[in-house]
Amino acid sequence: MSNLKKKLINGDFVITVEITPPKGTEISQMVNKLQELKLLVDAVNFTDNPSGKMRMCSLAACKISLDLGFEPVLQMTCRDRNRIGIQSDLLGAHALGIRNLLVMTGDHPVMGDHKEAKPVYDIDSSILLKLVNNLNNGFDLNGNKLNGKTEFFYGAVVNPNAEPLIPQLKRFEQKLKMGAEFFQTQMIFETALLEKFMEHAGKFNTKVIAGIVIIRSKKMLHYLNSKVPGVSVPGWLIDKIEGLKDEDVEKFGVELAGKLILNIMEQKLCHGIHIMAFSKVEEVKNLLNFIKIKL
Amino acid sequence: MIITRKKDLKEIEEYIENFDKFFLIGCSECATLCGTGSEEAILNLKQWLENNNKKVTGWMIAKTGCQILGTKRELSQYRQDIEEAQCIMVLSCGAGTQSITELFEEKPVIPVNDTLFIGNMRRLREFEERCRACGECFLAITGVCVVTLCPKSMLNGPCGGYKDGKCEVNPLRKCAWIVAYEILKKRGLIEKFYENILGPKDWSKANSPRMFKEK
Ligand code: SF4
Ligand code: SF4
Repeated sequence: MSNLKKKLINGDFVITVEITPPKGTEISQMVNKLQELKLLVDAVNFTDNPSGKMRMCSLAACKISLDLGFEPVLQMTCRDRNRIGIQSDLLGAHALGIRNLLVMTGDHPVMGDHKEAKPVYDIDSSILLKLVNNLNNGFDLNGNKLNGKTEFFYGAVVNPNAEPLIPQLKRFEQKLKMGAEFFQTQMIFETALLEKFMEHAGKFNTKVIAGIVIIRSKKMLHYLNSKVPGVSVPGWLIDKIEGLKDEDVEKFGVELAGKLILNIMEQKLCHGIHIMAFSKVEEVKNLLNFIKIKL
Repeated sequence: MIITRKKDLKEIEEYIENFDKFFLIGCSECATLCGTGSEEAILNLKQWLENNNKKVTGWMIAKTGCQILGTKRELSQYRQDIEEAQCIMVLSCGAGTQSITELFEEKPVIPVNDTLFIGNMRRLREFEERCRACGECFLAITGVCVVTLCPKSMLNGPCGGYKDGKCEVNPLRKCAWIVAYEILKKRGLIEKFYENILGPKDWSKANSPRMFKEK
């Protein structure tokens, strides 16, 4: 059983972090980051060509992480592979020792750096969950028997910021039915939306890990608000950050994320947090230090 | 209907630089509605060719360009003009253009239009894609065609990317699944819809080339 699964089942509060594999062949930076983060968090998620920007595959990054003795979460999207490719990659991932999966449909290529690419989207994330469920039971998507089953601990994503929310809640329930064992949320900026979502999610027996971003600059804030699918930065936060001097934004960003996390922990709102720091290890360290001092 | 758009004349210039005499064929169906195969479109092209010192030996508008036998019959009275022409230019969709290729294999046949999609006309010459000819229509279940209107062809509800009900890929458009949701809600079918999971879709039904013959 993966450590992440064990901890979530035990009711421990988990901390995961996101790393985007390199764009190129140079992996030393990623390895350094992993080594620094190893003792601080429970698992690391490797993104799958996020925003449709081409990078090293999540699968290879997960294997590098395993070799360093650090538990990875493989992100798998439906954008770039059909059902054959996905299953084949997942069997390979399993053989290499990868046990945690986070599946999603994936951002469209028009958001990325190969806008001309033909998107695949052979299946959507609900079917991808069904597919993983089948693999775990020893069958492929079409019900053909495998010579050995997988043991994936698999989760899905949900967006508590979605407006209107009901279709998103329906999707959440549907993903639960397809066997999703945990959920990771889109980045949230205030507890109110998470509370509202957890009011609903709490009715079900599942684990929720809240996505937290560390805001580094005004530019980043606007990028998140206008360019990242499904992210809306609340008006009060934009006003607040606009009023700050540029050099103060980063410190404020760490504090904001820190307070948010403490708030979540105190209220036992959900079961863990997932830090989206765009691979900036320093910030993750600052953030975790901030929490430790306050705890 | 099949939506077509006139090609840039610069592209056409390259195809025709070695020819002097042309026969032009339009289509009275979709291409006429799109303004790409109508009499007006033909006369404009004729004018342009003549301004470039080319000769138009004749022109006609097929009733239904993609109906091969009917078009062949209609063309028989233009045999002389077509023989004289070095090249045929077709103002229809790609299917209409290929009817002509099939009828005159030895003559160069040049498409004047680009074929865009299967869609509807909302206002005059304002078109929207509505169907990808997926081979297995889900409209009874989803209300609107999410295979086509959702850029990710999500079959089971929206992705997490919509903002204020707008699509993550094109924020000028409503998320197809919000539209579907509203329709299903009006029909009282939301709960029923989410009880099941749709798919995996049988894309083999959309493998090209497709053939169908009514028995
Ligand atoms: S479901 Fe398939 S056949 Fe029906 S409208 Fe959509 S693409 Fe066309
Ligand atoms: S926002 Fe809606 S229409 Fe756009 S890709 Fe997502 S589900 Fe499809």
